[in-house]
Amino acid sequence: MLSPYRVLDLTRSRGHLCGQILGDLGADVVQVEPPGGAPTRRRGPYVDDVPHPDRSLEWWAVSRNKRGVTLDLERARGRELLRRMVATADFLIESETPGIQAARGLDYDALAAVNPRLVYVSITPFGQTGPKATWADSDLVLLAAGGPLRLAGDEDRAPLRVGVPQAYAHAAAEAAGAALVAHHERARSGRGQHVDVSAQQAVTLATQSYLLSSAIGFPDARRISGGVGMGPLSVRFVHPASDGHVSITFLFGSSVGPFTRRLMHWIADEGGCDAATRDKDWIRFFDQMFSGEESFAEVVRVQALVAAFTRTKTKAELLRAAVERDLLIAPVATTREVVESAQLAARDYWRELDHPELGRTVRYPGPFARASATPLRHRRRPPTVGEHNREILGGELGLDDADLARLAAEGVI
Amino acid sequence: MSEAALADVKVLDLMWAIAGPAATRMLADYGATVVRVESTTRTDICRTVAPFHELPPEPESAVVFHNMNAGKRMITLDLATPAGREVLLDLVRWADVVTEAYSAGTMRTLGFDYEALRAVNPSLIMLSTCLMGQTGPLASYAGFGNLAHSITGFGALCGWPDRAPAGPFGAYTDYIAPRFSAAAILAALDHRRRTGEGQHIDLAQAEAAIHFLGPAMLDYTVNGRVWAAAGNADRDAVPHGVYPAAGDDRWVAIAVRDDAEFAALAAVLGDPALTRDPRFATAEARHAHVEALDAVVAAWTTARDPHEAEAALQAAGVPAAVVAGSADLCADPQLVHREHVRWLTHPTYGTTPVENARSRLSRTPAAVAGAAPTLGRDNHEVLEAILGYDADRITDLVAAGALG
Repeated sequence: MLSPYRVLDLTRSRGHLCGQILGDLGADVVQVEPPGGAPTRRRGPYVDDVPHPDRSLEWWAVSRNKRGVTLDLERARGRELLRRMVATADFLIESETPGIQAARGLDYDALAAVNPRLVYVSITPFGQTGPKATWADSDLVLLAAGGPLRLAGDEDRAPLRVGVPQAYAHAAAEAAGAALVAHHERARSGRGQHVDVSAQQAVTLATQSYLLSSAIGFPDARRISGGVGMGPLSVRFVHPASDGHVSITFLFGSSVGPFTRRLMHWIADEGGCDAATRDKDWIRFFDQMFSGEESFAEVVRVQALVAAFTRTKTKAELLRAAVERDLLIAPVATTREVVESAQLAARDYWRELDHPELGRTVRYPGPFARASATPLRHRRRPPTVGEHNREILGGELGLDDADLARLAAEGVI
Repeated sequence: MSEAALADVKVLDLMWAIAGPAATRMLADYGATVVRVESTTRTDICRTVAPFHELPPEPESAVVFHNMNAGKRMITLDLATPAGREVLLDLVRWADVVTEAYSAGTMRTLGFDYEALRAVNPSLIMLSTCLMGQTGPLASYAGFGNLAHSITGFGALCGWPDRAPAGPFGAYTDYIAPRFSAAAILAALDHRRRTGEGQHIDLAQAEAAIHFLGPAMLDYTVNGRVWAAAGNADRDAVPHGVYPAAGDDRWVAIAVRDDAEFAALAAVLGDPALTRDPRFATAEARHAHVEALDAVVAAWTTARDPHEAEAALQAAGVPAAVVAGSADLCADPQLVHREHVRWLTHPTYGTTPVENARSRLSRTPAAVAGAAPTLGRDNHEVLEAILGYDADRITDLVAAGALG
């Protein structure tokens, strides 16, 4: 979809996923790294646990469909080469702490002077300006600062994050959409602009609007293990299976109540609850709790029955029943189970990319969408350090072998 | 003042809940005309999701609904009536983009699959988004984001090693998929602008969300290793965790990534000698003695107000933040600076708060055009101003029960 366009990706660690999304959509993405490679390459896990910049799986996860050049932007010569690349680029993505690109003469205003059509995307912890704009950050810190952290975890322990960093994934994916908004406008006006994305703001979506609760005088959600506490109501989603856990949407109302009713019929059929429990009005159960006709404690009692029932079944049995009986149950899957999922296999989701330098092929997460006219493709494995220096700096910027050798000797590339 | 970035984009939005409407909310923020279709008999589930303006909740009191649908237009249609279906097809003719988030197969059952809609609008872009995608053995599997985050691996990676899986919070994949949906729609619009060609996009929430777990997935496909839940531990940073602060259920998140940050932390803790303690002198040693180290940090945080702790640590350059609840977030000076909470005029509640766009464009900034539509609010506007129906035709539609 985006094959006519060139993206310069200057992100060092924050926000690599933005360029990968644009690359998946067909754009030519050139990752610009410092000599020696982006810092992300020095984070594990590594292929066969051998630390090496070309074997970092954290890097691989966000760098396919990109070409790679090394360029030292701390040096005038590196900046000059970058400006030449900017002249013909459509997008530039960067993720430095505010102020750093300006000090280099590579901020939006400076590069818009080179290329007024440039869409310049900045992905930062807290945004370009404001009292916290230069605060120190990390995944955990941003999830705390943006709200979702407080809502997850066990009630008797500290709040919990997901064990794979999430904050910059949210910010980078948000930035990809925002970049394309600016791109759409450019088609009319012929002018680029600066896109400023805050990771703190991006993760607030994951509070499911509880960010706004105090503004309207509503109590915060409470974290309860594998569920959510809302005022006097505690809703458990995670239940035990005989070989792990499952998630069940055990809720009420016109949309979800019918699923709960079918679940309770199944449990009753197998002797897990009495007819009176089975036949409660699961559609109107919320209203009945507010009117006092049913108690909040009753939800806790029935959830315990559900847990006692699911504990006797395997995850696969519960998933099969969910499909056959139209229930809201899903296994809490391990990464192995996700990779080996029959659903994803049927959709040919996992895609192999050849890594000739390692003599192996690797299965990657597949296209994030199926587009009928312009399918998303995995065109390239992640680049090795400086892999496309000759192709891009030589072939496209016209440097000859002697120039390249000199730049390498000087440490510019 | 420039025209809104997406002022020329017309979206017919048949989505509901969060994952779909959050994507079209972003388009609306940048000026797209988004017309949602809702039915009075099967209203949006977001109307039943907390937090609420009042209890017991009623259909207009759910702030999630306001937040996902601000700036959109809405028409209520009964698609079981022939007249209602005709209106829908006229909206398809009007639209550049149709979005839907029904269970796979539902649009076909309704007679509104991509082939049918393309017949009335040949260059249409249609985005279908559901949990598992439009094909495959689980295609018809219904569900919400809490199920999708479980089936895609997030649940197993959010918990304590000695406990059952604990999270993540809520319908987690619903907060991931809309970003991918918005990007896919905008890229498809670009392709159509250049070629005239529309297309159908099948976006499975699960397949998009897996991209947020890339390193764990690759560690299995490459090394055969399955990650387990590890609390808040980090592979690199140490200390790294959420520490108790003074007050009821108050916490501070702290992440120390290198020796320099550890020295800064030690200074803030008033014990610079920690960096010379052989248990803590290197990152490797700190990982090996993490329980003792966490106890040292917790002894300091427990005695302090979380905002005070955050300020002291950040002043020294140590990544730290209050574990923010709603009151902290609404008062956060950075989010206030970004104008993150916007108050919109609302017919029932006077005003209602929504979150702002999560990106800032320098020349064509986002603007929230108005509160989410109450049921039926825009029926006449959509029929008259957008479809150009005359008064008689509208009267007939009302009589036929099409606007239900």
